[in-house]
Amino acid sequence: MLTRRPPLRVIIGYLMIPLALYIFAVFIPLMTAAFYSLFEWKGGPNKTFIGVANYVTLIKDKVFWLSFSHNLYLILLCVIGQVGIAFVFVMMINTRSVKLKSIHRTFGFFPSTIAAVYVGFIWTMIYDSRRGVLNWLLALIGRDDLKQVWLNNSDLVMTLVSIPLIWQYIGYYMLILLSATSSIDKEIFESAELDGANAVQRSIHIVLPMIKSTIIVCLVLCVSGNMKVFDNIFVMTSGGPGNDSMVMAMYGYKISFIQQNMGYGSAISVGIFVLGLLVIGAMQLFSNKFSKD
Amino acid sequence: MKRSKIILSLMLSIVLAISLLAGCGGNETTTAPAADTTTTTAAPADDTDETTAAPDASGDGYAGELTLMHFSTSEESQGNGGSDGFRTVIANWETANPDIALNQTVLANDEYKTQVATLASADDLPDVFLLQGMNTKLWAEQGLIMDMTKIIEDSPHYADYNTSYFTPFTDGDKIYGLPVLTGGTCTVIVYDKAAWAEAGFEEFPKTWAEVEEANEYFTANGYTESIAFGNSGKWQMNSCFLSTLGDRFTGPEWFQSIIDKGGAAFTDEPFVKALDYTGMLFQSGVFNDDFNAINNEDAREYYISGETPAFIGGNWDVSYIGATLLETDPERYENTGFAVLPQPEGATGSENSQNIGLGYAVAINSKLADDADKLAAAIDLAYYVTGPDFASYVAENYALGGLTQVSNVDLSAFDQFTQDFYNYSYIDTAACEIYDSYVDGAVWDVLNTELQNLTNGSTDGATVAQLTQEAYEANY
Repeated sequence: MLTRRPPLRVIIGYLMIPLALYIFAVFIPLMTAAFYSLFEWKGGPNKTFIGVANYVTLIKDKVFWLSFSHNLYLILLCVIGQVGIAFVFVMMINTRSVKLKSIHRTFGFFPSTIAAVYVGFIWTMIYDSRRGVLNWLLALIGRDDLKQVWLNNSDLVMTLVSIPLIWQYIGYYMLILLSATSSIDKEIFESAELDGANAVQRSIHIVLPMIKSTIIVCLVLCVSGNMKVFDNIFVMTSGGPGNDSMVMAMYGYKISFIQQNMGYGSAISVGIFVLGLLVIGAMQLFSNKFSKD
Repeated sequence: MKRSKIILSLMLSIVLAISLLAGCGGNETTTAPAADTTTTTAAPADDTDETTAAPDASGDGYAGELTLMHFSTSEESQGNGGSDGFRTVIANWETANPDIALNQTVLANDEYKTQVATLASADDLPDVFLLQGMNTKLWAEQGLIMDMTKIIEDSPHYADYNTSYFTPFTDGDKIYGLPVLTGGTCTVIVYDKAAWAEAGFEEFPKTWAEVEEANEYFTANGYTESIAFGNSGKWQMNSCFLSTLGDRFTGPEWFQSIIDKGGAAFTDEPFVKALDYTGMLFQSGVFNDDFNAINNEDAREYYISGETPAFIGGNWDVSYIGATLLETDPERYENTGFAVLPQPEGATGSENSQNIGLGYAVAINSKLADDADKLAAAIDLAYYVTGPDFASYVAENYALGGLTQVSNVDLSAFDQFTQDFYNYSYIDTAACEIYDSYVDGAVWDVLNTELQNLTNGSTDGATVAQLTQEAYEANY
């Protein structure tokens, strides 16, 4: 049993552990990447200092900016799909008519526990043009005209690779939002019900304002998570057809390991970091404004 | 008491921090995904100059550890003669050299390529590993791989080597590896002779116009298309199609000039024609419509299941198709034949070419120059796994050939399928180069990506050629 506050140096000592972890896992790799990005480096011991030439290339690199636009599109879909649908599910689970709530919670969360690579494989099978469930269902309802090679459709492929991500993480955000809604006083709902508010009105005018800060946390998690998305898209399309489903992290990987251009790959990773900060910063500004309103 | 607790806390913190930092140190243990890997320990100390001397090629003088990295997993070796032979000779060498602890890292091929490139970037390659042709010049420039010219000349098996296999591993007059595994074709049409005979072709068509004619018959008679192909990995269109079709338009001199930077360009008209022709063929309906969404493993299943009467792939696909059909559909196995790509209209090159070679070579880390005994052991291993024991094993068991030539291969012991494929690979066809055994990965990555757009009809040959040329000028 603690009888008194531990000395400051003990507290600092313990705090050093996460700090050391952070420096080791984030700060040092970032600084190293920033350093390597100033070199023409094809791997191996020889590097040539080229200043900011890699960044000049990056600014002009159409594939990188195409990848960035794909990340933004993915974020938009996932914010609506993951957080939005999770909120709707939470509202549905919280209604009195839904039974076996814990089962819904457990099964809802289940996809989040599957590795992204497996999720990619599962959805590749769903989209398969000859043996996939999607085309089979279309045939079943007599819409053979809609059957197609889904993952080879340049216009749809980004949406199609986003769906597994949405499916996988709805349960994750559902759990966070459920815990936030459980802290709302039930009496507020009861009095609103007595005043004649229906379920939609209660959700919009009571729940949403009361869990606003949790929703902002969910949005930050969603945006930052989707800025670095890689694995399931890599499994499903490898960024194809062409570069139509290329995202920034995969492009950095391709440049670094397939093209073995480590210097430029480092510049791309610094670019991803800077753009990530900008997007999250813009979102914070937006959420601050939303909070004030 | 409290003071000792504080000291203990601090010590534990320091131990934790050190253990974390030690995790990124030089000696690491690697686990192989989808493989039967043991462990590997990082390469030894100092960076040194390349060696040109060939010490006594015997592992006898060395007792200690030797690290080896390759991709012949036990799964891969099922039905794949090269992998099976490679694993067999490694095991023999280990038995013959009990004082040497051969630590192997065995990864599936895709993971191998990524991992070995990462280790090369970190200047932390294993003692012995498999070098891909297209990495030779770059890694030689970086001083990562040993110049093995003299070592190869001093080999006891040198007289039996098929020296044409060395070219992808050559930079100027220096050779950087002993070509390994089996010389296998990268482009072969595997077809159902009975089905094509029904369509009116006793042997596989010689022109693409005839293939399109056959396609009308097939699509009207229960088949979805005539030829299955898979390119979702993006490399297949290059390795298993364009490399041969390009040769038909450009001839071998053009690609040699590309390798030598002798003035040829990807924007040269014959190559652009080859690109446009490839795009046209894949838009014609002859191939499965999902060719850019599935890989070669999926596409060959279309042939195995009988959905499609032909398939285009490489020797690795033939091994799998043969082993599977033998078990599931012996009649189809008997009816399977092999053919080169039909000749495109307007092409003036060899009508009988197919790209064949050894894509990998046993290379030695240049750092071994410092340790004569260890180097001798590495050389002994390299000689052995590419030598007559390996060649005899794959010839006798699989009718395949490697770097060391084996005379008087008795094919009579093999069934028709195996004999036909042997004749296709080594006897009846003309060899041309495998594009991505040369030049630079960055160039092929750009070309492969654009080939998906081209075959989907969203770009044209001239644009693809221009982008590839830009990557060539920037990276090679």
